[in-house]
Amino acid sequence: MTSKPDTLSPAGPVRARSRLNGAHIVTSVAAAVLVLLAFLAVFADWVAPYDPLRQSLMEALQGPSAAHWLGTDDLGRDVLSRLIHGCRIAVIAAAEATTIAVLLGVPIGLFIGYRGGVWDWIVMRIVEAVVSIPGIMVAIAIIAILGAGLHRAMIALGILFSTSFLRLARGVVLAEREEVYVRSARVIGASDRRILMRHIFPNIAPPLIVQVTLTVGAVLLAEAGLSFIGLGVQPPQASWGTMLNTAAAFMDFNWFLSVPPGIAIILTVLSVNLLGDVLRDSIGRGIAVETRPETPAARFAAAPGAAEPVVLPRRADEVLRVENLQVMVPAPGGEVPVITDLSFSIARGETLGLVGESGSGKTLTGLAILGLLGAGVRATHGAILLNGQDLRALSPRQIEQVRGNEVAMVFQDPTTSLNPAFTVGSQIAEVLRVKQGLNRAQAWARAVELIDRVGIPRPEERARAYPHELSGGMAQRIAIARALSCNPSLLIADEPTTALDVTVQQEILDLFRDLQAEFGMAILFVTHDLAVAADICDRISVMYAGEMVEMAGVDALFADPRHPYTAGLLHAMPHASDRMPPLPTIRGNVPRPGDWPSGCRFSDRCDFRVAACDARIPLLGRERLVRCIRAGELELEAAS
Amino acid sequence: MTDKPLIEITDLEVTYWGRSLMGIGGKPFHAVRGANLSIRAGETLGLVGESGSGKSSIANAVLGLVTASGGSIRFGDAELTAMRTRYPPAIRSQIQAVFQDPYSSLNPSMTVEAIVTEPLHVHTSMDRAARRARAIELLKLVSLSEEHLDRHPHQFSGGQRQRIAIAAALALQPKLIVLDEPVSALDVSTQNQIINLLYERRAEFGIAYLMIAHDLALVHHISDRIAVMYLGHIVEEGPSDRVYHAPAHPYTRALLDAVPLLDPAAQRRRRAARKFAPAPDAPRLSATGCPYQNRCPHVMPRCRAEMPPAFAIAGGGTAACFLHAPDAGPAPETARLSGQPACKEPAAP
Amino acid sequence: MLKLIVQRLLALVPLLFIVSVLTFSFTSLLPSDPVDLIIGDAGTQQQYEMVRERLGLNEPVHLRYLQWLGRAVQGDLGSSFFNSVSVMGAVMQRLPVTLSLTAMSALIAILIGVAAGVAAALRPRSWVDRFATLGATFGQAVPNFWFGLILVAIFAVNLRWFPATGFTPLTESPWEWLRSVILPSIALGTSSSAAIARQVRSAMVGVLQQDYIRAARAQGLPFRRVIFRHALTNALVPVVAVLSFQITVLLGGALIVEQVFAINGLGTLAIAAVRQQDIPMLQGLVLVMVGLVVTVQLATDILYGLLNPKARPS
Repeated sequence: MTSKPDTLSPAGPVRARSRLNGAHIVTSVAAAVLVLLAFLAVFADWVAPYDPLRQSLMEALQGPSAAHWLGTDDLGRDVLSRLIHGCRIAVIAAAEATTIAVLLGVPIGLFIGYRGGVWDWIVMRIVEAVVSIPGIMVAIAIIAILGAGLHRAMIALGILFSTSFLRLARGVVLAEREEVYVRSARVIGASDRRILMRHIFPNIAPPLIVQVTLTVGAVLLAEAGLSFIGLGVQPPQASWGTMLNTAAAFMDFNWFLSVPPGIAIILTVLSVNLLGDVLRDSIGRGIAVETRPETPAARFAAAPGAAEPVVLPRRADEVLRVENLQVMVPAPGGEVPVITDLSFSIARGETLGLVGESGSGKTLTGLAILGLLGAGVRATHGAILLNGQDLRALSPRQIEQVRGNEVAMVFQDPTTSLNPAFTVGSQIAEVLRVKQGLNRAQAWARAVELIDRVGIPRPEERARAYPHELSGGMAQRIAIARALSCNPSLLIADEPTTALDVTVQQEILDLFRDLQAEFGMAILFVTHDLAVAADICDRISVMYAGEMVEMAGVDALFADPRHPYTAGLLHAMPHASDRMPPLPTIRGNVPRPGDWPSGCRFSDRCDFRVAACDARIPLLGRERLVRCIRAGELELEAAS
Repeated sequence: MTDKPLIEITDLEVTYWGRSLMGIGGKPFHAVRGANLSIRAGETLGLVGESGSGKSSIANAVLGLVTASGGSIRFGDAELTAMRTRYPPAIRSQIQAVFQDPYSSLNPSMTVEAIVTEPLHVHTSMDRAARRARAIELLKLVSLSEEHLDRHPHQFSGGQRQRIAIAAALALQPKLIVLDEPVSALDVSTQNQIINLLYERRAEFGIAYLMIAHDLALVHHISDRIAVMYLGHIVEEGPSDRVYHAPAHPYTRALLDAVPLLDPAAQRRRRAARKFAPAPDAPRLSATGCPYQNRCPHVMPRCRAEMPPAFAIAGGGTAACFLHAPDAGPAPETARLSGQPACKEPAAP
Repeated sequence: MLKLIVQRLLALVPLLFIVSVLTFSFTSLLPSDPVDLIIGDAGTQQQYEMVRERLGLNEPVHLRYLQWLGRAVQGDLGSSFFNSVSVMGAVMQRLPVTLSLTAMSALIAILIGVAAGVAAALRPRSWVDRFATLGATFGQAVPNFWFGLILVAIFAVNLRWFPATGFTPLTESPWEWLRSVILPSIALGTSSSAAIARQVRSAMVGVLQQDYIRAARAQGLPFRRVIFRHALTNALVPVVAVLSFQITVLLGGALIVEQVFAINGLGTLAIAAVRQQDIPMLQGLVLVMVGLVVTVQLATDILYGLLNPKARPS
């Protein structure tokens, strides 16, 4: 079962919105530059004040003047007119080379990507060979064969840049071929042609558009470069590159000559690249950037007045005590709460289960304790007392001291929570060196001891293994050994068995129990699986939509669930009953943060809803806590 | 139901070849090693195993997504392995699939209408209006409605996406649907909605299911027969209730016992009774003999020497384990370590 | 590690074969007859036959290829059509010049690129990030030779801090060498540093979201240690993979930037060779450049293997 960590990221929309204005202006300016370029290219003959080729040696190398706004070149030609006519060359160059590159590269790339086999092998080796020669050298070599000149140079560049389109198309096809929806299409019986055109090609279009913009920019730069060294556009024809060639020769006399064509190139390429960036962002397969909310935090309106009173009795040897914790995540137009009024405590040697489905806030609770909520997500209320010390009041430096030494965490997927670049032994030893000041040899010896302690045979040999060389169960044992290396008083385990096979899960649960008996740490065990909680926990707190709905000792909870959600979840477990369908269900879906009902958050999925459920429901009780106004009635009903 | 199976898998082998440097050579990985299974029309077979057991490879071989390296898959009168991955439309339209991850199994660039009508487009000559009408019918079958037609997959929750995938699979009224872990990516509270939906449609249309899952309890609800796989071998097969309540193969029992009971007291008792724990790095596979020998509490010298054949089990089905050889003594404790969880039925509203 | 090197070397065989075939087939792709180029318009039929015989053009293609390859492997790349100097000699004479430029600009590009990329990734959307991103976008739009012209105008012509043109070999005077390569290297390296900065930023942002970074922080390791040891090691993996490509780009860019600074490197040689249709010289240039690129690729592959245990063959 794969359950994603329930850090819902409404950060995405925020970013999109806040960037909209900036991006909008940039896009408009870039688009305006390109429209102007196209206009000048088409109407150059009418717009340009002079004939770009008309020489007037009397007026050579003049600076800007009323007659010649951008001055004149060595032959007295008007720079502005040449610049405007250069637009035409730029547009032709970009269009020619990019079209050739796309028409050549994309079909071949699609074909070899889908077919694979020997053709793929041969074509890719040729591409590799071409790519291993510097691009300009390839162009120079092709020009040696074809001869110099605008169109020939653009054919050369087209061939050169076709390799990037070829690789792009092939890469997308290879990736798409493995997509489940392409497999679905094959199961449906769609032909290769249809799969390629209908299912794969639409997904190639976005990166293709981005690549086109990149190529246009690169072509403009390459054309300028080739013309600059005299292999592209031939004099006296006016292109920005040839103008720079002229300028270079007269740098000492009139450096200004180099400025107009340079600015023209930069502006054009910049505009094309910026448009490409905006396109890429809006297509949005890019990496989502963590953000801080732009707008000042909006107060959480749904929480009326003060926090609810803590009903938590103080207990002896309490390791962790959380009171009225509230966590907010950024969302469009402010922040929304993901955890509200959460209070619980864990004693030494005790295991508390935090059970809930995706979006319940259970994973964020663990991260909030460690102070690792991530940018934008913040704990706004409440106290987190670890051994009597409020972690929320500590400075980042101080909490760094607490982490590892007093509290540690084991994550869901052991293969991603260990650093792939280092051996597993060195990752444990590193913690011991940094946190406990052990020297290299001591740390290594202790790491091997710990690896042995978590039940891994041949620990010395395994310590030298990299994470990818270990099975999931083995890697999770290593992660546990690392977490316990400084003997913390609290261990947070976030779905530590969810990514593992069920027989391995049993071994890891046994290991937790075993280690707890020896080290005596308190465990906060986060899971979505009630069966796992039944096995490992002493007490269980059931979370739903950011709040605790029920908390009880493990035997009491399973024998007599009081909250309708707990009961529903319990009955929905696959091995809860032996019957044929219809199986018991909870109707509807888990509401997303921000969409919670204002009263009881379970009310619109609940079969026992009454009018009073629309008001805020407090968590009530002493030994057992339930957030349901009908808990008493229902209990009676069930008993009768 | 007739006695002639809808699909019959005999001695199926699936082998993947690792790519080496020049694309030649490489080591073979035997994902399926001689599997025998059959499904009758309208019947559900649950295929259970842990990761790497080969259960998905069997699904892919049936769907023609991989080519079998040996054995046969007969579907009606057709031999599927002979067609490699190119099934004729008449067969394609009768075998459909629903995959595990509802977030990647729907093409993000297509609308719900396009996804659901794609099979109709490929296999029928219906016009656009007729296809749309059929799409609405199909969405109703999975408790979605016309208003969802023009939306894109990312606008739906996991459970709803899985409903869309089921609607597409039902479009051609297939005889067999391969369900590859159809609910394991969903929240517990929505899992049963999908299970119930699948069960209702099966009753309505008489479809046979091949349901792949890692959770025996889950498939038990919906399956007529269950087969258990371990490292490419089918170690046990039989009627659903018999396999679930009286597992014959030690691995099946280990699989059942590994899932904690929902009764903490009973679970504590079961834990205390658990004696044998295999070494965590016990080699997964030995060259000869039973695939489970390194982790089996009942391993005998014989298990290391030869591969156990499938022995008949009282109550139906077979188990590939020498404990059940006719010449062996009484099998030790084939029942599960403790009974069913004591869990009350939901209180009536 | 040795196995990785051997594996990479083996993978080079088909690549070098294809490059050599492509390079060799130059002669036959040429529209004009090389013999005509050599003897000129005034040549007689007899001279024509002689030259043709001397060049071995009468033999079958595959034999000519093998002979050419055999000589090339021994370092004999023939002699120029134009002035009969040894191609190898001419190329080797200019190589240190272009190599100086490429190496120095690569150094600049990597230093600036990695620093800017990391700084931007650590604080997404901060002013550091905006500035770096803007700079990178701008840097990629500026033609390197134009940037060179401007640098010359400011720092050589006006301020006179650096020489405007020319190249001093390292062996002659390290200080003068540095002064002569610094401006062209900056001109050349800027756009690559922009490309590398973007790569580093996006790789770093991706890595910082990984579980193992959260796990390292949960373990209470100091923030700087997590960033520079745990995150950067992994973020550099994709960067190293594109590094050899960037160095190839720099090598090509050097050919053009050389012209701005009137530096007599491979670029000047290549441009002259194209104008004169000097085929052996072009072939030699391509082969030497491929040799350089392949060496760099090998080095980055090994670096890649060092950074990424999964890339090592087991």
